[in-house]
Amino acid sequence: MTTQPATAPLRDDEPPVNLWRDAWARLSRNRLAVLSLAIIGLLAFVAVFGPWLTPFDFLSQNLDARNLSPNWVHLFGTDELGRDVFSRVVYGTRTAFVVAIVVTGIAATLGVILGALAGYLGGPFDRFVMWFTDTTMSVPQLLLVVVINASLKPPLVNFMEAQYEATKNGFFRNAIIIDFVLVFGSMALILWPPYARLIRAQVLSIRSRPYVTAARALGLTTPIIIARYIIPNAIGPLIVAISAGLGNAMVLESAFSFLGVGVNPPIPSWGNMISDGLQVWRNHAHLLAAPAIVLGVATIAFSFLGDGLNDALNPRGRK
Amino acid sequence: MSERLLDVRDLKIEIDTRRGRAVVVDGIDLHVDKGETLGVVGESGCGKSLTMLSLVGLLPNRIHTTGGSAHFAGTDLLRMQPAELRAVRGGRIGFVFQDPMTSLNPVMRIGDQLMESLRQHKRLDKAAARQRAGELLKLVGIPGAEQRLESFPHELSGGMRQRVMIAIGLACDPDLLIADEPTTALDVTIQAQIVELVKGLKQRLGMSVVWITHDLALIAGLADRIAVLYAGTVVEDAPAELLFRDPAHPYTRGLLASIPRLHGEDGARLSSIGGTPPEPGRRPQGCPFAPRCPLAEAMCHDIVPALAPLRGVATPHRVACHVANRVREAA
Amino acid sequence: MGAEPLLRIENLQKHFPIRLGAFGESTAVVHALDDASFDIIAGETLSLVGESGCGKSTTGFTILNLHRATGGQVLYKGRNIAGLDEKAMRPIRRDLQIVFQDPYSTLNPRMTVGEAVGEPMLFHKLVKKPELAERVAQLLGDVGLPPRFAQRYPHELSGGQRQRVAIARALACQPRFIVCDEAISALDVSIQAQIINLLLDLQEKYGLTYLFIAHDLAVVRHISDRVGVMYLGRFAELGTRDQVFGTPLHPYTRALLSAVPEADPVAERSRQRQVLEGDVPSPLSPPSGCRFHTRCPLAMDVCRSTVPAWRDTGVGHFVACHAVPG
Repeated sequence: MTTQPATAPLRDDEPPVNLWRDAWARLSRNRLAVLSLAIIGLLAFVAVFGPWLTPFDFLSQNLDARNLSPNWVHLFGTDELGRDVFSRVVYGTRTAFVVAIVVTGIAATLGVILGALAGYLGGPFDRFVMWFTDTTMSVPQLLLVVVINASLKPPLVNFMEAQYEATKNGFFRNAIIIDFVLVFGSMALILWPPYARLIRAQVLSIRSRPYVTAARALGLTTPIIIARYIIPNAIGPLIVAISAGLGNAMVLESAFSFLGVGVNPPIPSWGNMISDGLQVWRNHAHLLAAPAIVLGVATIAFSFLGDGLNDALNPRGRK
Repeated sequence: MSERLLDVRDLKIEIDTRRGRAVVVDGIDLHVDKGETLGVVGESGCGKSLTMLSLVGLLPNRIHTTGGSAHFAGTDLLRMQPAELRAVRGGRIGFVFQDPMTSLNPVMRIGDQLMESLRQHKRLDKAAARQRAGELLKLVGIPGAEQRLESFPHELSGGMRQRVMIAIGLACDPDLLIADEPTTALDVTIQAQIVELVKGLKQRLGMSVVWITHDLALIAGLADRIAVLYAGTVVEDAPAELLFRDPAHPYTRGLLASIPRLHGEDGARLSSIGGTPPEPGRRPQGCPFAPRCPLAEAMCHDIVPALAPLRGVATPHRVACHVANRVREAA
Repeated sequence: MGAEPLLRIENLQKHFPIRLGAFGESTAVVHALDDASFDIIAGETLSLVGESGCGKSTTGFTILNLHRATGGQVLYKGRNIAGLDEKAMRPIRRDLQIVFQDPYSTLNPRMTVGEAVGEPMLFHKLVKKPELAERVAQLLGDVGLPPRFAQRYPHELSGGQRQRVAIARALACQPRFIVCDEAISALDVSIQAQIINLLLDLQEKYGLTYLFIAHDLAVVRHISDRVGVMYLGRFAELGTRDQVFGTPLHPYTRALLSAVPEADPVAERSRQRQVLEGDVPSPLSPPSGCRFHTRCPLAMDVCRSTVPAWRDTGVGHFVACHAVPG
């Protein structure tokens, strides 16, 4: 029948195909995915080396050059304090990447551990984890983040204050730390359930595959079966989810900054730049356009890369 | 008697792959006479299902017919407009698919699924369609037919579902019923029921049947004539008795020798054909079977043999092989 | 036969509880296998046949302790292995192996052929690392594959080739007994014959014992020494190949044989076929008494009330039927 996977009788002239190399070959044929990968690569480069590349400091104000339209000195113009928008967008890239990577990292780790255990152990633990994910997912995300911020910020500030009093360490005076801890923590808390569900479903379906039963019939121990049979087969969809999740986290961070519960000024983030730009966009459209376009391009790139990875890592789609 | 109902000539089907187009069906010649049962036999990937799907415009995306003709009662199906083809499909040509579990819509009562086709093709009103649907279920031997109209597919067993599929295929009194491996998913005792059913229906309704299968034993008692497919071509086409008694193509001989028998002698080892069939797009030059053929000669690797009548026999027995004639005459 | 059995199965039973209803409030029991008692003799091929849901695969899985038996015993080397925990089972697993039906999901897609075949030997410490490659090549040779296949991944192979790899992997621990669970059913006709021949060759070479689970009766007749016929979780008949195919006793066996088509148009046309009416009942609520009575042409009153005894008719030909005299 035509529905069967393609059988490929071997020929001597073909090199062995490694699954990952094969997936890479398929990904590299997908032009949209390659373009997305290039954009993400460029943004990542900017995020790491940005501060050395920008012509101006993102904080330095020049009140003689306020609200300039884009020109050859200020590629994206300047804002109402005369700060260089290009430099701020570049620094915002760093913020976006840090938030996306840390938040997705925490959420995915949490989700994978809970989901894998739930799927493999089953029983009451599984029911508890699933109840917990369902509950978390049913609460509106923004509401949860606002509540977390409002309720945790004062005690956290007090704690830091107390630490400073006790140690006189300047580190505890740094308000940025509080900001980032709150943003990371609250976003990771709302983003982990999809990973848990994904991995649990993967584990459940892989656990009943014949090759796992065959491994049991060989007498292999449970840790070996999990490490060599279940996890490697579950990892493809996870990579896809993480790619899409990075873009999603960037949007979410911008949304929170926009609402004032994200990264706070003066640290530039695309979200708070959009928020500021929105108030003056009638007169100075570039203040809104610059961060919004970059954010849009970044999230679309992550989304297309996720799609491309999905096709590349899914052997059923191969032909 | 031997009036042509379906005449497929030099049919070519190609599939889009990332390496370009690959030929899956390469010049198939098939015909079905009125009142005849044609068995189409072949292994996975030989193109037997695609050929039949192409006739009624049901090829999946990325797969296209790229040549040939398929005259059905005088008109070329491959050159019909989609609307005309829709009228033929489910009207004058009925289809029964392999898997009765997935070919029925799980959220629709089977009565409604039957009536749908009747109302579209025969323009029956609701009451008439309902009555006819009940008759059809009775015709395919479903007990308590009238009540069964209200059932959902999951309430029926696999065998019963396949009977419903057959009833849908028969709904508009087709001239031709195409059955694509209709018993592969069923147990032997249920398979026997379905085979008896189709045989009886064919006799009563006087239609033609094309039965696609990989099971040589099954088709032996069912078909008047058998076409053997290999790698997208017809390699042999003969009346059933002749094909089993005196197969001419080395592939047919190999297949028949490799199936274990229920009666008679059994040797310790089955004779088997070495190697595997070629993949679409990697078909060898010359005869597609040549790399696996015990009789292959130099020319077999260069020149594609045409499907031609066997020399010195009265009955129409066609074979696509360079050496078959010579080997027979020597024997 | 008189030979010492490799495995003795006594009153083996496997029930699967399932939850019904939206909240799993009620449970039902699938009677997948009931009261199976038979011996598997060293070096033989014992086939189990029957239609889907008859419990033939469950029998294989339960013997290997991949399903925990609900009741009964599986005696191997004089010891009951039914229900042993994994740790106690581990040394025994080397001897008892399984090959599955679907060549597309029977191998871990992330492991090369060489890793898949080598893993069991390393795990059970049967070879040292330096000798591994050589031993893998030898096993691949045993199943008719060239050594260069060791570097390949399963998705690069055809169905028949994958099934050969699965057999090589099962052979890696030098087992005595292999369950072939529909091991050739998914393959094309011309490939089927290759794999059947391979299984027979390997049996000869290594003195293997097979439990061959299949639904294709012609294949079973070709490959088996003895045949067991199952219906809806119970054994109907068991005997030598010639007994079961030549002088079948149970009405179900006769119906099954009569339903199998034959590759001979002349014989098919003249053949009197006994077509069984109706469908196999649900194993959730199997019929009382003899489970076949709802479709049996010979059913009597006693069949509806009393489970027929599993008895030897005298010559190692077992049957469970009230209508069979003796």
